[in-house]
Amino acid sequence: MIAAPGRVDVRAFACPLTWVKTRIALERLRPGERVEVLLRAGEPLASVPRTAEEEGHRVVSVEPLDGAGAGEDYRVVLERGGGEP
Amino acid sequence: MSLAGKSALVIGAGGLGGPAALTVAAGGVSRLVLVEDDVVETSNLSRQPLFTEGDVGARKAGAAAARLRALFPAVVFEPRDERFDADSAVELCRAADVVIDGSDNFATKFLANDAALHAKVPLVHGGVLRTTAQLFTVAPGGIGGCLRCLFEAPPPEGEVPSCAQAGILGPVAGFAGALMGAEALRLLAGERGAYEGRIFTWEARTARSRIVLVRRRHGCPGCARTQQPRGSPAVASEVVSSRPGSTT
Amino acid sequence: MSLSEDLIARFARQLLVPGFGESAQERLLAARIRAVGADAVAGPGLLHLAQAGVGRIWVDDPEDVSPADMGGWLYGPSAVGSPRAEAARAVLEQTSRHLSVEPYPVGGVPTAAFICAPSVAQALAAAETARRARLPHVVVEVDADGGAVVTVPPGAPCYACGRSVSGSGRPPQPGFAALSALAAAELVLVIANPGSATGRRIDLTRGVATVRPTVRLAGCPCGVEGTASS
Repeated sequence: MIAAPGRVDVRAFACPLTWVKTRIALERLRPGERVEVLLRAGEPLASVPRTAEEEGHRVVSVEPLDGAGAGEDYRVVLERGGGEP
Repeated sequence: MSLAGKSALVIGAGGLGGPAALTVAAGGVSRLVLVEDDVVETSNLSRQPLFTEGDVGARKAGAAAARLRALFPAVVFEPRDERFDADSAVELCRAADVVIDGSDNFATKFLANDAALHAKVPLVHGGVLRTTAQLFTVAPGGIGGCLRCLFEAPPPEGEVPSCAQAGILGPVAGFAGALMGAEALRLLAGERGAYEGRIFTWEARTARSRIVLVRRRHGCPGCARTQQPRGSPAVASEVVSSRPGSTT
Repeated sequence: MSLSEDLIARFARQLLVPGFGESAQERLLAARIRAVGADAVAGPGLLHLAQAGVGRIWVDDPEDVSPADMGGWLYGPSAVGSPRAEAARAVLEQTSRHLSVEPYPVGGVPTAAFICAPSVAQALAAAETARRARLPHVVVEVDADGGAVVTVPPGAPCYACGRSVSGSGRPPQPGFAALSALAAAELVLVIANPGSATGRRIDLTRGVATVRPTVRLAGCPCGVEGTASS
């Protein structure tokens, strides 16, 4: 039974705040729990999922946000990894 | 140790340049030139000791000079609110007795390296990332190599660093910057630098340190600038020829 | 128990360091640090503690600012003659609006100590007080432009065990700033990650730092009153 993931919207922020907020959201989860991150294309999309993986979390999905123009906003679902971030 | 009449050039007034400038000013130099083209941001306040809450939004060069003048009125501070670039680099280095590079990007580091060598002025490099600090001194005509002996070229542009690599623990940056300042004071006093020809690395969590020797690389374009016909060619060639067939 | 937007923005760069997350920053904000000594040598360390985000610094120093204190990044000529505790508060509170500075003693119990005392006797006394209260603490021993930092997490070998007995104790030279910053880094690390710290001594000589673990001296009282660290 997986509860609907919480959501973090970092579209208004620039690197590194995009990752900082995502990281904090992940830290507040238990291993296996998920969070949905809304972010912009470009640097945030290029670095946030990758950094999440580097720090031991799982990228569940990456898809364009409904209704957004191509290459604009994305929804990334991350799953908290086990152990310390 | 009298540093009267001595001048220091500090590139960057942030996490490294700030502590370095404070240390060198406290050491009694006559003049300190500070090159910095950025604006104070809130996130700077976690690790840049020249700036306070009231400085957010101000140009860093001016705010740094104001702070330094209040603390050390006997020192002449010359803020240069501009980028350290090829137009002014050599002239700035020539006017100094030591250069401290507190910049945070490879392009500036390489420019500082080349300009200091060309001006024949010793240069203290420093870097800090997460919880690790690194220090390295380039002394033209002295022992050991330069930044180009170590890296043949800056890493290619467009290599997007992971967001996480931007992390820095404030006091570790302060430690590194203050060490840079102390090294500059040594060099100004005519002593051999502690990081001359070797990189000192410190990891703060484990408290592990490492020293790696940096030999002059045969054919290094940076070091070639210091091998001028005049001066003491015997010393220069002796240093180079003492490593016959040295590998890159 | 979560950081505000404000705090996240300010400490973003620290929050990016792996192993140093939201709870570490919160522990710093909750910390109440007794600063024993606020002279030139303590200055850079106190400034870095303030900037790293500690919530309270209680300055335990009854002396006035002297001209010799001006090399420590806190005090300019206008502060000379005023009490160090007040002059330190004036500067440190400006560096961070999340910090409150008071002269010590104050109506509260510290949670850590930054000991940069003018004499060995004072350093030993302050360290002993901190140890008995099971507070993590660091002690600065300055020696020209270097010296040593002894880090004492709760339950670790005490400062008396870790201090330099031979100690040359030459007068501070301006390079001491690095030692002070190092001490601040050590205390921040111990506060941020309480379980993982071990007692150690870092010597800084001519720009090079080397570490060794502190070892309990036979017969030292710090070994008698229970050893389990939290």
